[in-house]
This record gives sequence, C-alpha cells and structure tokens, in this order.
Amino acid sequence: MRPLSRNLAGSFTWYPVYLREMLLFKRKLLKVGYVFSAMVTPIIYLLVFGYGLGRSVRMSGTDYLSFLIPGLVAMSSMNNSYSWVASALNLNRIYFKTFQVLVQAPIPPSSIMLGEVLAGMTKGLFASSLIILVGLVSPAHFHISPFFATALLLNCFMFASLGVITGMLAKSHEDTSTYNNFIIMPMSFFSGTFFPVDTMPAPLRAIINIMPLTHTNILIRAQGFDGRTILALAVMAAYGLIFFAIGSRLIRGYSE
Amino acid sequence: MVAVNEISKCYGTLVAVDRVSFVLGRGEVFGLLGPNGAGKSTIIRMMTTLTAPDAGTCSINGLDVIREASRVKEIIGVVPQENNLDRELSARENLDIYARLHQVGDRETAVARALAEVDLSHRADDLARRFSGGMKRRLLIARALLASPEVIFLDEPSIGLDPQIRRQLWEIIRRARIDGKTVLLTTHYIEEAEALCDRVGILAKGRLIAVGSVDELKHTVGDYVTEYIGPDGRLVQHTVHSREEAHALAQTVDNGEVTVRRSNLEDVFIKLTGERIE
Repeated sequence: MRPLSRNLAGSFTWYPVYLREMLLFKRKLLKVGYVFSAMVTPIIYLLVFGYGLGRSVRMSGTDYLSFLIPGLVAMSSMNNSYSWVASALNLNRIYFKTFQVLVQAPIPPSSIMLGEVLAGMTKGLFASSLIILVGLVSPAHFHISPFFATALLLNCFMFASLGVITGMLAKSHEDTSTYNNFIIMPMSFFSGTFFPVDTMPAPLRAIINIMPLTHTNILIRAQGFDGRTILALAVMAAYGLIFFAIGSRLIRGYSE
Repeated sequence: MVAVNEISKCYGTLVAVDRVSFVLGRGEVFGLLGPNGAGKSTIIRMMTTLTAPDAGTCSINGLDVIREASRVKEIIGVVPQENNLDRELSARENLDIYARLHQVGDRETAVARALAEVDLSHRADDLARRFSGGMKRRLLIARALLASPEVIFLDEPSIGLDPQIRRQLWEIIRRARIDGKTVLLTTHYIEEAEALCDRVGILAKGRLIAVGSVDELKHTVGDYVTEYIGPDGRLVQHTVHSREEAHALAQTVDNGEVTVRRSNLEDVFIKLTGERIE
C-alpha cells in the first residue's frame, strides 16, 4: 500500500508538468523579446484599427475601440494559449525529446494533459493581461465583467487543449505552422474580432458560427444572460471538453 | 527479473526488431551489443513503455510493460541515447521536476545526493545547456537513479565521450550494480561490454543471434585467433579453440607476420555476423 503522503501527492500529478512549463516560461519572460513578441501583433491591430480606422467607425452601437478591445483580448489569448502549447509540445516531442520524460513518469496521461493545458492557459492569460491593461488606460468603454472573465478562461482552456492536439499530431515543427495557417489565422479575422459576424453573407456565417473563437467573441462582449450568451457558453465548454479528451487520448496512445 | 519474450517491431517494411527474447536476473548487468541500426534502441524503447511492440511481451519484475505501464514506470530509470534534459533549466531544477514526477520523498535531500553521486554539486544551479557532453551524461544518469529504480536502462551511455569520462560513467554503473540494481545497457563499444556486462546479447539486423557471458561467447566461437595479412593484402582471421591449434595454424602460413592472440567480443561479433562492428 502506498503511504498517505504519496497518495496525496498523486492527486496533484499534473503539478510537476505545470511547474516545469512555468520555470521555462519564467526564463523566457526575462528576455525582453518575449514580452514584446506577445504584445506586438495585438498592439499593432489596436493602433491601426482602433485609433486609425476606428475614429471614424461605429460598430454594434458603440465606438470601434470599445468593440475592438475585447476582440483583441480573445484573439491574443487564443494565439498565445494555442501557439505556445502546440509549438513547445511539438519541439519537446520531436526535437528535444523532453516529452518522453513526462510519458515515462508514473503519472496518468490526463495529468500530463492538464499540466500542459494549465501552462498554456497561464501564458494566454499573461499575454491577454497586457492587452487588458492597454484597454483599461485607453479612452474605450472597457470593463471586466463576469462574462468577460469566463470567456477569457474558457477561451484559454479551449485553445491550449487544441494546442496539445496539434503538438501531438504535427509531424514536424513546420507542420505546426500549417495548422496555424489553416485553423488559427482564419479564425482571427472571421470570428468577430474586428467586425460583427452578422454583416457576413449567410453561407459564410454558417461556417463562422462553427468556429470556437466566434463564441468567445459573443461571450466576451455579452452584457447579460440571453439565448446567444448561453449558447456561446455551452459551445465553448463543449469544444474545451472535446479538445481536452482528444488531447488526453493522444497522449495515452503515444508510441514512437 | 526482466523477461523479454518474442518482441518484434516493424516500421513500414523495415523490421527493426525481429522476435527477440532474453531474460535478466536481479542485479545483473546485461549488454545489448550491435552496430547502429541493429535494433538496440528500439528494444529499450519497447521495454521502457515508449514504443508499443507489434508482437511479443515484456515484463519487469512480474509487471507487464503494456498492461501495467504505470507501475512499470515506478520501478525503472532510463538514460536515453539523446540528451533530453531541459536545457533552459538548471541541473537542480531538472532533477527536482523529475523527483516530483516520480513522487520522490524528501526531494531536496534526494536531489542533493544524486548531484553529489555524479560529482555535479558545484554546478547544481547552472543551466543544463552550459554543461559539457560528459556533464550532461552524468546528469542524465543522476536523474535516472534519482527515484531509486530497481531496473536501469542505459541506451549507448558513453557515446561520444572521451575515455576518461567514459570510465567515470562505468564506475557509476558498477556502483549501481553493487547497490543491487538490474542494468540493461546498449552499446557498440566492445570494451564497454567486456568491462561492464555479466552477459551480452549480440544483435544484428534486429535479431538476437547469441547470448552469454563474454567468456561463454568467446568460447563458442573459439578462444584464440590466428591472424595475418593474406596475399590480396586483406586481414585474414581464424578463430580456434586452443592455443596449440592456433600455433599449428600459424605454422601453415607461408609468408608474412602471423599473430596469435586471445579472442575478444569483436572476434565473436565478426564470426557470428560476418560484419565488423562500427
């Protein structure tokens, strides 16, 4: 029989996986380039679309900057949660072989998944917090509502889990860019980050409504509970759980 | 006890491992000797839960590697051929994460002891990427030993190391054996197999073609070798079973210098496979 201390430790078997990622993340944060690279794209969008184009545009009954900032937070959290997990996991699996240390440890595959996803969420939240700070000091009508916080957390969970799937499936590091170009890039532009989805033609709207980020953008801008909000919440939760289950299964079935 | 029974692995049309079977006793150091591409690393990956065999079974201390993988992982330590340390973490952090993953009690003491065992205490807080090849190897071994595994797997532990560092590694492996660990190592260095292993398995093209102690294997093919340069300028070797036989054979060579010496594992390998180990 295992001693009590080991059984208790067994409940947190995801923690070493998370801690490892955080130690590596801390090292990255000490490099100025990382913080800059995490911020540069959304800040450029903010300046170009928000302060440039946005001065003469109103969107969904509000000024464009107030419409844009939540969308940029959603996009930034998606990009960072997804990309860091997909890229790091793929490199660790194929090139550095450090993933093998996790697979050969006596912890369940779901713990590896949870540790990686929580680490991806942390990175996504860190990157989006920088945009949130910009939003809070900008003249936009921007505040953090419970819908905003829920959408942000679920978005990070959903895309970090998707990042694990990509990291496990991509056969090379170049392959992760292909996944990025086909999945993440279209979502960034079509899912309601820069303009309301309602303005798109009906056939395209049907495709857009399947995209997970579309539902993040609905929830993150929600002002109260209604049918759309509940649907967005349900869709995001479903996507998150499905991606998490697939990622866990891929880790469980890992074989070289 | 470690038991491998008829395991096979194919990658497409390539048969990497072909129905390999062997048994290791507790506290034994067993070496898999073979050239690059013989299937050594694939066997280790299958035995350490990283690669699923296409056929056959493998058990470690009675635990099936596939069905009881989680429990197997609790009792094995692995030194892979590639350096898979986290380069951006310090030596101490690398070991601390591993200790947490393997739920080692009193981590701080265990990590400090592991670093001391491989003479890396003074570099504990340096990033692994700043280590030399020999230091990285020693840290990999310290990591594999950290959770006090019952069975240790070392895949080409001294590849690319200079002779002095190689001998330091051998000492660590010998100490592990004295501590009662069962050790399986792969190597293509003849002298490493001769220096460390109680028994050796010779692998060629995915097949295990001979198993035994170094002396047994030498005796099988012949304890003595007569060698000389043939008329075509190529080295000619004959393995025979006695010194007298070897000298008698030497007498029959008409011209040139003839050497009579005791056989070694390389001679065994050449005799059994028709190839020289590279």
